[in-house]
Amino acid sequence: MIALNQISKSFGRHQVLENISLTVNTGEVVVILGPSGSGKTTLLRCVNYLEKPGSGEIAVGDFKVNCAQARRSDILQLRRKTAMVFQQYNLFRHKTALENVMEALLVVKKISFAEARKRSVALLEKVGLGAKLDEYPSRLSGGQQQRVGIARALALEPEVILFDEPTSALDPELVGEVLEVIRSIAREGITMIVVTHEMGFARDVANRVVFMDGGVIVEEGTPDDVFQRPKEERTKQFLRRITPEANYTI
Amino acid sequence: MQLDFSFIGSAFWQLLGAIPTTLSITVVSVTAGLIIGAITAMLRMYQVPVLAQISSAYVTFIRGTPMLTHLLLIYFGLPVLIDGISQQLGWSFRSVDIPMIGFAYISFSITAGAYMSEVVRAGILAVDRGQVEAAQSVGMTTFQSLRRIIFPQALAAALPNLANSVIGMLHGSTLAFAVSVVDINAKAQIVASTNWKFFEAYLAAALIFWGLTILIERVAAGIEKRVGAYNRGGVS
Amino acid sequence: MGAPFDISYVFSFLPKLLDTLGVTLMIVAGSLLNGILAGFLVALPRMYKIPVLRTLAGIYLSFFRGTPILIQLFLFYYGLPEILKLVGLDLTRAPVMFFVILTYGLHTGAYAAEMIRASVAAVDRGQVEAAYAAGMTPYQAFSRIVLPQALAIAVPVFSNLVIALLKDTSLAFTLGVMEMTGKAQTLGTLTQHFIETYLALALIYLAISFTLEKLLVVAERHLTRHEIRESRSNSLFRLKKRGSLRTVMADIDIGKGGIR
Repeated sequence: MIALNQISKSFGRHQVLENISLTVNTGEVVVILGPSGSGKTTLLRCVNYLEKPGSGEIAVGDFKVNCAQARRSDILQLRRKTAMVFQQYNLFRHKTALENVMEALLVVKKISFAEARKRSVALLEKVGLGAKLDEYPSRLSGGQQQRVGIARALALEPEVILFDEPTSALDPELVGEVLEVIRSIAREGITMIVVTHEMGFARDVANRVVFMDGGVIVEEGTPDDVFQRPKEERTKQFLRRITPEANYTI
Repeated sequence: MQLDFSFIGSAFWQLLGAIPTTLSITVVSVTAGLIIGAITAMLRMYQVPVLAQISSAYVTFIRGTPMLTHLLLIYFGLPVLIDGISQQLGWSFRSVDIPMIGFAYISFSITAGAYMSEVVRAGILAVDRGQVEAAQSVGMTTFQSLRRIIFPQALAAALPNLANSVIGMLHGSTLAFAVSVVDINAKAQIVASTNWKFFEAYLAAALIFWGLTILIERVAAGIEKRVGAYNRGGVS
Repeated sequence: MGAPFDISYVFSFLPKLLDTLGVTLMIVAGSLLNGILAGFLVALPRMYKIPVLRTLAGIYLSFFRGTPILIQLFLFYYGLPEILKLVGLDLTRAPVMFFVILTYGLHTGAYAAEMIRASVAAVDRGQVEAAYAAGMTPYQAFSRIVLPQALAIAVPVFSNLVIALLKDTSLAFTLGVMEMTGKAQTLGTLTQHFIETYLALALIYLAISFTLEKLLVVAERHLTRHEIRESRSNSLFRLKKRGSLRTVMADIDIGKGGIR
């Protein structure tokens, strides 16, 4: 279970997150929606401590961090319980697909080489890249790179995987293959928090949808509730603006 | 022996007199170098037969050997060449008519030309191919697109390298002592030899060069700001 | 001026000059070692923005890049013994080679510092984030992710740096060190065949520069095997590939073109 409690964050005088509290149960898929600048990506990055929250509390499983007094060892432990899939993939450029997945297993989890390799090969096969093990990222398409990114996140066996707009940088025809992989691991009961603009995907896969705007959570509920019967005016406005897009995505 | 501060001051004033010599070597070599560089860069980029290969060999040779060897080769080699040709053709011109600083001008221009060739080439290569296509798409001729679209952008891209080359030539001008030209460096030696205060004299020389270098950097930064205005912001 | 030109002298001078190649290479190697060490010491406070040290590093960089190496050589040769005498150290009997390697080392250090800083800065920020997200410590992220990529970016700059240093060592003779250029002068004066000696000298420098460059290209190939190589096209304007190392290199300019 992931519990965010009263998370606040500001860049200079600009407050991006205001007392955000959010609980994600084990096995749950939560999709965060919102216009750009609403703070959704910042919130996700705070969970992984890539942004340092100003105040609040982050709990992953039975491990709890008070952001005001987090020590380096706390941050490291928090990061080892979470994994991130980036918008720009961020695959290690000097390592092959296989090495990308193996890297953290060897360095962070300190698993033996043979075991790490076995697990990584299995994961890459799972995301459909069994034939691309020894390719460098520069030789892979965006969709393939992102699938390696997902395999890399899965390898850590984290309590939660954070997806930061995983399909935004992709060519439209490559979005499908990545969403399909995310969908299939969602079915396996892996806990996920996903920031995305793919409405069809959100409706289809999410257990819960959270709508953010202006650094606060405006509304949350089941996809049906939020998409069909939004209560807040801001949510309705946002949905009206993006609905046409939702028609042609999956 | 104590550091003689007052001598640093008086050496500084005496060295100021040698600044014009240093600057004239720098300006001449940079200007001539730019012309040689632009020509050889174009020859290489358009792959003009024979001339392109000669240009490449020239750039490789110069960049692979010390500037001092260029100066010495010119100093000893050029007179033989000139006098030989002169005699053949019956001219009255003899190599002794060339002033010492002439060898520095010629040799340093040849050095600078090779480095400038790379600066020009890198600048032009830095311009996106899409820019050429866009220029052609609105009906510009090759010359028009070069002059109005490519060169301004190439100049902006090349400016930092250009400034470094100018600084390199300024510092390189100290080698002129080898052909008895009295620039700032040689003057420091002369000033110090009267009372053996080499440290103080070279300290003064270093301060002058430091100041000139900072000046060039400032000017280049100022030009860069104006020329590169279109390139500002957006990335991060 | 001098004896008439005779090409055979060029060949007979080559082995004589090569006798002193060891001295030249020793200056290059010693200075390079010092320079890289100094470069790291100067680059770190700048990268981690440590107050005071950062300002001192800035002054060091500005001075060594702002004055000619020839002036620096004289300055250290004449000045260092006097300054150290104030703190009771006697350097008057230190070998000339000490001053030469020290000065070239400090000079190279200024350019090495910029090379290090720029190469590290050129590694995409997302790489570090991905390393952190995977739970690596800052040390692991630096040594396993940033450093290998920075190294690959640095090779071409490093190549220029070494060749520039090699060429700069031709000035060591001004302090009386008998390296290749010094030897060439002696030979020239002795035989009056100046053109031939300097031609032989230039050929040797050219050969070493060429070899160094080729070796470092091999190293670069090896370190950048993960990048798509730009094919050399014949068109005047090659397409700029986004994020390729060569493009990155165009943005890194440590200002050591190797003039002098």
